[in-house]
Formats: sequence, structure tokens, C-alpha cells
Amino acid sequence: MLRAAVALLIVILLGMAFHADGAFYKVGTHRDALRQASVYGILACGMTLVIVTGGIDLAVGSIVGFTAVCFSMMTIWWSWPWWISVPSALAIGAACGAVSGALVVWPRLQPFIATLAMMVFARGMAKTVSGGVKVSTALPTGDGTFRYVQVPELFRTIDSRILFGNLSMVTVVFLAIAAAAGVLLARHIWGRDLYAIGGNEEAARLSGLAVRRSKLLAYVACGLCAAVAGICQAAQEQQGDPEAGGGYELTAIAIVVIGGTNLMGGRGHMGLTLLGTITIGYLEKILSINAVPEAGRLMLTGVILVAAVLTQRRRRF
Amino acid sequence: MHRYFLTFLAAVLLAGCSRSVSNPAGEKVFTVGMSQCNLGEPWRVQMNADIEAAAKKHSNLRMVFKDAQNDTLKQRAHIEELVSAGVDAIIVSPKESQPLTEPVAKAYQAKIPVIVLDRAVQGDDFTCFIGADNKKIGKAAGEWLRNRLGPKATVVELKGLMTSVPGQDRNQGFRAGIEGSGIHVAFEADMKWLEPDARKEMESALARLSRIDAVYAHNDPGAHGAYLAAKAANRHREMIFVGIDALPHEGIAYVKQGILNATFQYPTGGAEAIETVLKILGGQQVPKTIVLGSRVFTAENADQGGESLP
Repeated sequence: MLRAAVALLIVILLGMAFHADGAFYKVGTHRDALRQASVYGILACGMTLVIVTGGIDLAVGSIVGFTAVCFSMMTIWWSWPWWISVPSALAIGAACGAVSGALVVWPRLQPFIATLAMMVFARGMAKTVSGGVKVSTALPTGDGTFRYVQVPELFRTIDSRILFGNLSMVTVVFLAIAAAAGVLLARHIWGRDLYAIGGNEEAARLSGLAVRRSKLLAYVACGLCAAVAGICQAAQEQQGDPEAGGGYELTAIAIVVIGGTNLMGGRGHMGLTLLGTITIGYLEKILSINAVPEAGRLMLTGVILVAAVLTQRRRRF
Repeated sequence: MHRYFLTFLAAVLLAGCSRSVSNPAGEKVFTVGMSQCNLGEPWRVQMNADIEAAAKKHSNLRMVFKDAQNDTLKQRAHIEELVSAGVDAIIVSPKESQPLTEPVAKAYQAKIPVIVLDRAVQGDDFTCFIGADNKKIGKAAGEWLRNRLGPKATVVELKGLMTSVPGQDRNQGFRAGIEGSGIHVAFEADMKWLEPDARKEMESALARLSRIDAVYAHNDPGAHGAYLAAKAANRHREMIFVGIDALPHEGIAYVKQGILNATFQYPTGGAEAIETVLKILGGQQVPKTIVLGSRVFTAENADQGGESLP
């Protein structure tokens, strides 16, 4: 925990050194840094559960796109109330996760392969259901013209701010998910089982743990988190982009690793993922307010990734 | 899946048709192959839609669409397939210039008219190139802002992927358009054509600058992302938003909804391509290069279909 905090501290010190004419000290900067990290953070929460079992989920970015499209169609096109559209979108994400998980536990596909397949499949589904175009408030009428509708109230609510405009709603969603996933992982039997499976799957099975069920549930939870991220993404973009979430799986994995969760499984903590999310969020924000050119950003991010992982490495690996 | 089905359908159609098919009116039906490099971008989806709509008006045209899914070698294979299937004309919107020059030249040498859309190939072994000029469009956007902003105005530029030629051209053209006017680009960032990135960068610009008079984004989703950031900060009324592309369901829709103040069309050339194909098949001469004009859409003229730029 301490070691992960070191990485965050370094990044914050970096922000204080390069504060961009005081822009770093504005409240809005911190609110926005947390807002833009929230979608990544939500994905990283689900990813942590899967990585603790020694697996990986590459499909989360595509599930963001797929659920963002479905959620936008349900709310913008069909005006479904939130108590139908939100559970439906969550169910879609969970179903995608369940398919990945089922492929991992029954035909025993490598998690990398099973979720790679789901990654391309879910992206294809996103493009199929949306017809390849963004689902926006401009509704095609069929004869080449468009009818315009209002942005759904639900979108505005998710993209709103609380605490006198100082905290974004999506950040609240992220913190709630991190707390729930953290408690499940640290306190619940299922969470403890995930550690046992990640530590030594054979030993866990011989000890009588329901290895298959627990692993399957980890992928379902990861899909569920991806669906939440998809809903937040759609609300923030005010549209369902079939390309949304492209490459987000890698950011989510980077967050988990920066936090210090072991990619080999068996070790990790949701608190670490929370710190990792904030670290990545601040890093992006500092690079952005200083208007660092894209090429420099990529190189700096690479260097800081390695530095962050090195600072929280245990003495014996 | 839809795409594979189309490809399959295209293969069946191509296998089943010889060159002397006629329609119910007794005219000869021409088969035209369209090789699209990537249908992941809304603009290219629109290009195919424009081509399809234009071709539908002519009962003697049959279109065969192919999507290379952003894979240069796949697109090369598609062009070769169209040549061996013996289509009457090929429209190609290449992914890359150099690797597709030779397949296009081979088709041209096989006496099949080839119309190259949007991105050019090298040499001149093709029938006709149709494209728009990003520099000109960027310059028009700069001049449009120049007429609306006072000197010393502060502008935020949200750039498309700066390793791509359209991004570079839209940047250079814009800078030429505002040169000497005193308009100052106070914040610029590469948002890689992506709306979420544009929103992030705009938030940073808002944190740094106490006054912003205009936002110029290299595409409409970028301008929309900037608007959302400014609206969240309750500062959207202090600035005007300008984007590029003007797709019906994106930029033009945003202008009509009062989100963007202006969008500059980057035309797909789909309708012009079909027009040119018909001229060629009818034995007429066509110019080697057709540069497409652009249109500007504002709240005042969007319902009338925009205003064409000089």
C-alpha cells in the first residue's frame, strides 16, 4: 500500500513542479482528473478481480463500446426509463463476461485467448447493433433526414456534479464500485477463494473450493464493471459510439499493475487499484495542462509506468 | 458479421454475373466495384452511403462493395479480385498510397477505369482522382473565425492525429487563415480525432485560460467534446465552436441543435464518383483530377443545405 502511494506522490510532486501557471492548484483540475480516470478505474476494479485469479480480461474495452451503444439506443431511441435501461445494459455486460468466463472454465481456454475472442466479438456486436454509426440524438428517419431529440435526463444526471460542483457523479460511481469490490475481495468468501485460486489453482481445487464457479463469477463481475463503465462513457459523450473504449483494456491493466497487483495472480488489493487509478488520472492531467506534445506524452507515460512498478516491487520477486 | 455476409453476397453476385447482363429496360448493366479501406470511421460509412444512394438512381449500375477493414494487403486483394471478376469500373478509396499504387495501376492497365477517391496513389496509372483539399478547408475555417473574432482573440485548437496528413493539413490551413489577424492560438493539443480525448484536453484549456473566444477542432466530434467540457464548466456561452467534416448525423446535427456555431464539410465525393463512372462508361472524357468544393453549415443556413465556399 505504501509503495503504491509512493508512485502517486511522485506524480503529484511532478504536478506541483509543473503546475502550468497555477492551473494544477485549481479545484476543477482535480475534479476533472478524477472524472476522466473514473471510467478507467471502474474497468480496473473488475480487472483486479480477474487478475487476482491469475487471469486477464482483454474484452472490457469492447464491452464498453457494446454497452454504450445498447444503453444509448435504449435511452435515446426508445426512451426507456432508467430502471429498465440500466439493468438491461448491466445484464448485457454481465452476459459478455459470463461467456468469457465459461470459455475459460469449461473448454479451459487460456484467459488471454478467450477474452481476445470476446474482445473482437463484442466490438463486432457493437458495430452490428448500431449499424456502424454513432447512436446520437440525431435520429435517422429513413429518407436521409434526421429528427432531433433531447439528451436524456438520465445522461445529464450521470454526467452531473455534486458537492457544489466539486465532485463528478462518475467519480462517485467509481468509488462506490471500488468500495463494493474491495469489500467482496477482502472480506467475502468468494473474494478469498479468488486469492486461493490465483495462488495455486490445483491446491484450491483439492481443498474443495468451487474453482469453476468462483472464476466464472470473476469474469461476470468484470463484465458488469465494463457495463457500468459503458453507461458512464455513453452519458459523458451523450451518444453511443461503437468505437468507444478502444484500447481501454490496456489502461485498465496498467492501472492494476501500477497499483502493485501481481499479474501472475494470488496477490493484490482493491486499495492498490484505487491508488493506481488516481496515479494514472493525475499523470494524464498533468501532461494535458502542460500541453505536452503527443510524442512526449507517450514516452513519459512509458517511463513513469516502469518507474511506478519498480518503486513498489518487493525485494524478492 | 454483416460485413462478411456482404462480402459473401458480393462473391456470389460476381460469380453469377457475366458482363452482358441487362436490366428490365433492356440496357446493359454495368458492375462497379467499390473498395473501401475501412468502415470503422463514420465518414467512410457516409462515403459508401453516398455512393449507394447515387448508384440507386441509375438502373444500369450494380455496385459491389468491399471493406478492407483497415488492412492494406486485404485491400490489395480486393482490387485484384475485382479485376479478375471483370467489373466494368472500380472505385477505390485507398488506405495507403504507396502499397496500393501497383494494384491500381494493374487494374488500369487491364483497361478497367479506376476512380481513386480521397487519398491519392502515386504515378498516374489511374483514370481519375477525386478528393477534397484539407488545407483549403482549414484555411476557410480560419478565415471564417477571423471575420467573427476581434484582433487579440484567444483560440483553442484541438488537433486531429498530427501524424496523419489530414491533421497536418487542417492545422497548416487554419494557421494560414488566421495569419496576421492577431488571433492567438493559446492552447493546442492532439486529441487524435477522439471525442473523449477532446473533452479532456478542453478541460485543461479551461483550467489554464481565463478567456477563450473560440474553439477550432479538426473534426466535429472533437468540437462536440470541447462543447461538453465548456458546458460542464458553465463557460460555453463565452466562446464559439467550429468543427470540420459536417456529416449529416454529426456536425450538421450539432449545428442544428445549437451546439456548434459552424462546421465545414469535408465532402466524401461519393456522388461525384458515380457521376464520373457514368461519364467514363458512356465514353466521355473526364479530367484526371477533380478537387471537391466544401460547404459551411451555420445555424442560419443549415436547413437550406449550407453555403458553398469559394
